[in-house]
Amino acid sequence: MVFSSLFFLCVFLPITLGLYYVIKNRTYRNWILIITSLFFYAWGEPVWISLLIISTLFNYYFALVIERNRGSWKEKASLTAAIALNIIILGYFKYSGFIVDNLNSLLGTSFEILRFGLPVGISFYTFKTISYVVDVYRRDVKAQPSFFKLLLYVSMFHQLVAGPIVRYKDIDDAIDNRVESFEGFNYGVSRFIVGLGKKVLLANTASNVASMVMGNNYSRLSVAGAWLGILLLSLQIYLDFSGYSDMAIGLGAMFGFKYKENFDYPYISKSVTEFWRRWHISLSSFFRDYVYIPLGGNRKYQMRNLFIVWFLTGLWHGASWNFVLWGMYYFLLLVLEKTFFLKVLDRIPAVFSRIYSLLAVLVGWVFFFHTDIGQALTYLGIMFGINTRPISSPEVSIHFLNNAVLIIVSVLACTPAASWIYRKIKNRNKENEAGIAETLIRPAINIFILILSIIFLVGQSYSPFLYFKF
Amino acid sequence: MKKLRWDSVIFIILITILGLTNLLNFNKPTVSVLENRALKPKPELTINGLLTGDYFRDYEDYYSDTFILRDKLVKTSKDFQKAMAFLGPGITIVQSVDDIQKPQENNLPDQSDKNIGNEDNDIIPDPASTPSAQPDTSDDTGQTGQNGENASPENDEMPERDFGDDPNIGYYLVIDGKAVQIFKFNKESFEYYAQILNKYREMLDDSVKIYSMIPPTAGEFLRLKKYAGITDSQNDALSYLESLLDKDIVTVNVYDKLNRHKDEYIYFRTDHHWTALGAYYAYVEFMETKGEKPLSLEQFEKIDLGDFLGSSYTKTLDKSLEKNPDSFIVYKPYTKHEFFKYDGKGEHKADVIDMKYKDSLTDKYLTFISTGGSTWSVIRTEVNNGKKLLIIKDSFGNAIAPFMLSHYEEIYIVDARFYNKNVTGKNIIEFIEDNKIDEVLFCIYMEDVNWHKFMSGVEGLLN
Repeated sequence: MVFSSLFFLCVFLPITLGLYYVIKNRTYRNWILIITSLFFYAWGEPVWISLLIISTLFNYYFALVIERNRGSWKEKASLTAAIALNIIILGYFKYSGFIVDNLNSLLGTSFEILRFGLPVGISFYTFKTISYVVDVYRRDVKAQPSFFKLLLYVSMFHQLVAGPIVRYKDIDDAIDNRVESFEGFNYGVSRFIVGLGKKVLLANTASNVASMVMGNNYSRLSVAGAWLGILLLSLQIYLDFSGYSDMAIGLGAMFGFKYKENFDYPYISKSVTEFWRRWHISLSSFFRDYVYIPLGGNRKYQMRNLFIVWFLTGLWHGASWNFVLWGMYYFLLLVLEKTFFLKVLDRIPAVFSRIYSLLAVLVGWVFFFHTDIGQALTYLGIMFGINTRPISSPEVSIHFLNNAVLIIVSVLACTPAASWIYRKIKNRNKENEAGIAETLIRPAINIFILILSIIFLVGQSYSPFLYFKF
Repeated sequence: MKKLRWDSVIFIILITILGLTNLLNFNKPTVSVLENRALKPKPELTINGLLTGDYFRDYEDYYSDTFILRDKLVKTSKDFQKAMAFLGPGITIVQSVDDIQKPQENNLPDQSDKNIGNEDNDIIPDPASTPSAQPDTSDDTGQTGQNGENASPENDEMPERDFGDDPNIGYYLVIDGKAVQIFKFNKESFEYYAQILNKYREMLDDSVKIYSMIPPTAGEFLRLKKYAGITDSQNDALSYLESLLDKDIVTVNVYDKLNRHKDEYIYFRTDHHWTALGAYYAYVEFMETKGEKPLSLEQFEKIDLGDFLGSSYTKTLDKSLEKNPDSFIVYKPYTKHEFFKYDGKGEHKADVIDMKYKDSLTDKYLTFISTGGSTWSVIRTEVNNGKKLLIIKDSFGNAIAPFMLSHYEEIYIVDARFYNKNVTGKNIIEFIEDNKIDEVLFCIYMEDVNWHKFMSGVEGLLN
């Protein structure tokens, strides 16, 4: 199920909220979350719910073994076994087809392998369970003695299928001791609606316009068309994914959970290094804490460590070479910045370093969106005038002008502009604590976005989130 | 804050009420009048559907398709989007809403229920599995798509257009209350067309004359000042095509004829088809090309069927089109005739000008010989001149055929999408020979020439 579907919004969510809040007991509330979450997952992925449960089961077991055998060989062996099993599962379901295809074309053989569609959310929940076992091993958190409470962590529908990759240690306490409050609920609703609007009103529309501007093959794409197209796709991927994270954080808040932020206005970064501190934070911090630092971080073999991290980051996004290339592209940029370019970026006016970062990211998305690398290069060729193409075309200017409002709103939605204005208004009402901003303006905007989103949802066909395929 | 803020209250109430009203709305619609298409039916619960997850996806589609007040909400969202384009030049390019389109040529009101049930079978004549190319179907259920679901022969479905097939078709330009399809020249498509027609020429006896008529899209006759160049020249495309066609295939140049009359009402504003008047001019050109004298328009009985909102409207849902509906005029032939359609179930008598659709706002184009999904149909006239014509056509051919009656003893009509070898037991060449047809007219819309799947259907007739 996706958050931005009418069925989720009008059936699943009211029922779940209703059941949850009718019951007062903490244990029953947790059970309701488990059951609804499993239903949420089974809706669309009924078979692979078994995998989710098996995965939770062995991670649960190994974490307990680790904790009960501190200092013994069993501690390390359990950790190794748990990580290996997680990686084998992820590897088998996500990469086996890719590996076999590459082997076959390399060796000229024709091995075959049983292929499955990628179980939804597997990339996210295996990372969650890996982080859990490692954190238990590191004594950052106690192993969860109850299987069902661990299952609650793994399967919680807010962040089950497309992140954020919430760490167990961040919600360990909340499983038993969270406090649902009106304040938290209000915040959750507000956050959910903002995310819904980003996805339904902006991202989906941007995606439609992008496909019209770009067309399926690029035989007629002009230079301006290529730039407009990649700009729209960049808006789409941010608004889509950060919108999803907003909804996840908002849903969590409705049920008393506090999740960490996953995005921090990445497009206003002044370097690529900064971009990756602001983009998909839960993923980059996962690689930092569980790959980069254990390998030695910047103390030893930094180049190798960076290379491995970015190779894996690329590969995590999909079993396809273009994602690896995309990761390698960032590896090169980050090395470049680490060696000297960051110093340059610090000295030049901020506007130039922002333009550089944005350009670097736009070019990155070209690799990201084209599984066919040849097509990506053609596209870049058009953008940078290497392929002789007209500067613009009538279609591009028609699309641009007709969608100017969408583009402006979307661009603003990628910046802190709205929250900046909101704070300005709020601070003017010092005499009244709640203030007109909090009691009137914000709720009114929320309701406007909600109603408009529902109207748009009805008119849109099924459109899953971009990050579902990862 | 010690209580729920009012937006949280509205949020909860709104989603609950919407959920409940949908639950309690037992009388769910099955067709969207607005979009002129069948809505997703409630999926059947099967073990397989559950395991693959298809059931859930279908159920969600069904849920949103039958959402309360859906048509109104869809329209509101379109209007809102339109209003947001206020910075634009007043021209919009719309990619057609390519949901499951209601079949264009059938959907007879009395059998609409059945059609809806079958709507999602997507019977696209895949080049590899066109019915006529399936040797294993010995019974008469020929129109079986590759998805294995059986469709009865009279299940006359218009294959859904697969716009992914060619990126350059399916775009509409909406300007001044008029929607036209944008034409993008695709060299390979025209080479393919020529290759197919040349193949017909090669396989048919020299005594059979072949005519090629390609109605251009209305976009060609629009005077765009600022945005000239948005549609490619169809005239150039046709000249290129002529250079590829066998010398013994006669080109019927409807382009120049229509161009001379471009200020008249020759195309609908809200539908991609030509009007009866446009089709009449094409008929005149056809007769003049053959050296025969066309009938004058006054000889036909003119009937005004009133307002019409056609395919371009249902695909774009554009308000400027809705405000400015077309008027639908038909010309009734006076030559005495009988019209029969044939499918797997046998012979059906029908009307060349079918008044069944006269009161429908969106389906009026079906008034012109709606051959439905029949494998072939024939008009037998009182004219005793022994001349026999076969029209291999898409829907453009429907409007032109009624003008031809006084010139032929028999007019055969075949739509490449629906021809089924299992019904006739012969391929199109044998069909032509056995019926002693002496003229073959290809009347295929420019965008269908560009549509590879349609043309491969035309090629498939030969097998």
